[in-house]
Amino acid sequence: MNNIAEKQNTPLVDSAYFEAITTAIRMEARRALDSGEVSAVIGYKSGRRKGSAQPVIITDAARSDELVFSPACVNNLALYLTKAKKEVRKNGKIAIVAKGCDLKALAGLMGESQLKRENLHIIGIACAGVHGGNVEPSEPLSTGTIARKCRECHSHVPEGVDMTAGTLPALEQLAALESEELSRLEAMTPAERWAFWTEHLSRCIRCMACRQVCPFCYCEQCLCDRNRPQGVETTPRPAGNMGWHIIRAMHLAGRCAGCAECERSCPMDIPLNLLNRKMAQELKDLYGHEAGMQPHEKGPLAMYKENDDESFIK
Amino acid sequence: MHAEKLKNNFEPKIVAFVCTWCTYAGADLAGTSRMQYPSNVRVLKFPCTGRIDPLFILRAFQKGADAVLVSGCHPGDCHYMAGNFHARRRFATFRKLLEFIGVDLNRLQFSWVSAAEGGKWVEVVTELTEKIRSMGQMQEFKALELEECWSGKLDTAELQEAYNKI
Repeated sequence: MNNIAEKQNTPLVDSAYFEAITTAIRMEARRALDSGEVSAVIGYKSGRRKGSAQPVIITDAARSDELVFSPACVNNLALYLTKAKKEVRKNGKIAIVAKGCDLKALAGLMGESQLKRENLHIIGIACAGVHGGNVEPSEPLSTGTIARKCRECHSHVPEGVDMTAGTLPALEQLAALESEELSRLEAMTPAERWAFWTEHLSRCIRCMACRQVCPFCYCEQCLCDRNRPQGVETTPRPAGNMGWHIIRAMHLAGRCAGCAECERSCPMDIPLNLLNRKMAQELKDLYGHEAGMQPHEKGPLAMYKENDDESFIK
Repeated sequence: MHAEKLKNNFEPKIVAFVCTWCTYAGADLAGTSRMQYPSNVRVLKFPCTGRIDPLFILRAFQKGADAVLVSGCHPGDCHYMAGNFHARRRFATFRKLLEFIGVDLNRLQFSWVSAAEGGKWVEVVTELTEKIRSMGQMQEFKALELEECWSGKLDTAELQEAYNKI
């Protein structure tokens, strides 16, 4: 897009930075598993493709050298601690590798009483950013390969964790593409915005990857799967797609941690994080709520004040 | 309604989601006091505004409503103590979302109508009906509802060519 001014494809950080994090994670995993402090470590290991990474759950200290951290470690591992993955959770105290955005998801889940802090051993990462979608995993982290969410990240350094891996190198300021896109949309007329969203959402094939990958979509029965009565059409028709994405954005409003996993996993490249980012911004303006690294006691839509704005109500 | 009796070219369909304790009783009061108001509004009764899911509003639009009215107890009067306070936040958020998607917010009206405000109910409904009448049909969701997904098109030039080759 308009990153012409930025030097294309120059590595943003030294590879030694990632090696240092990998070493720190391995040492911590070995120590925690050996001492019996945790029963499992959720982290990343190398995938089969060169440079790629995939989530892994390790229960044996001997396997801790499998753990890695690279720019290809995109997944939000908080997903493995939600209700949908009960079998992982019931093993007592678990260590988890968390980037800033994953940590916000963990904090959100704690705020919703889905997790207990004392059952977690959080290995935080001083994260410089990870790859975006459709990137060759062996590429280094550069202005061309960094994810859009990482360009305007404010949570590089984890807070309130049990151990921080790595030290954050000096980072250059990158163009905030997502915010620019958001203000471009906000400046449009409603009809243009409607055209923008119908065009994007009509591509949706309803694979539900955005739901499956979301740490906050932990309902055992999703409203959108119910058919008696049916709330949202399940066929990938434009009408049902619009319904599903509006409901998804509404259900995540005030809860979304902004990890943008939905957008990354979307096979049809729908800019889903724009919706999430917009809702986060609106809730900040309306009720001063922001997803943070510390759990909130209650989300903005689960509480109220007597003097909330009601200028829109007659 | 017979064609010759139509006063206007377009009669809007308005769906009203109301709470049973205040607005439903308010509308009932308007009826028992023989107040006149447009018959365009279809009233659906809910236990509380807090029960009204944004999904219902969306669904009403998808099924052909030209406008949606959501009405309940004034803040502080909720039968369940805080239902309308929660609803207020939820609808404020939902409005912002619909605005971002590109829906005209004039078609989504919220109001507080208590059980004693039969007159206000008449006023709200009349005003909304007149506004929607001048705005015309809600096109967006209706058009979307009629649209089929890409595989539904069976008469494209490419396909015709392929059929002819068989």
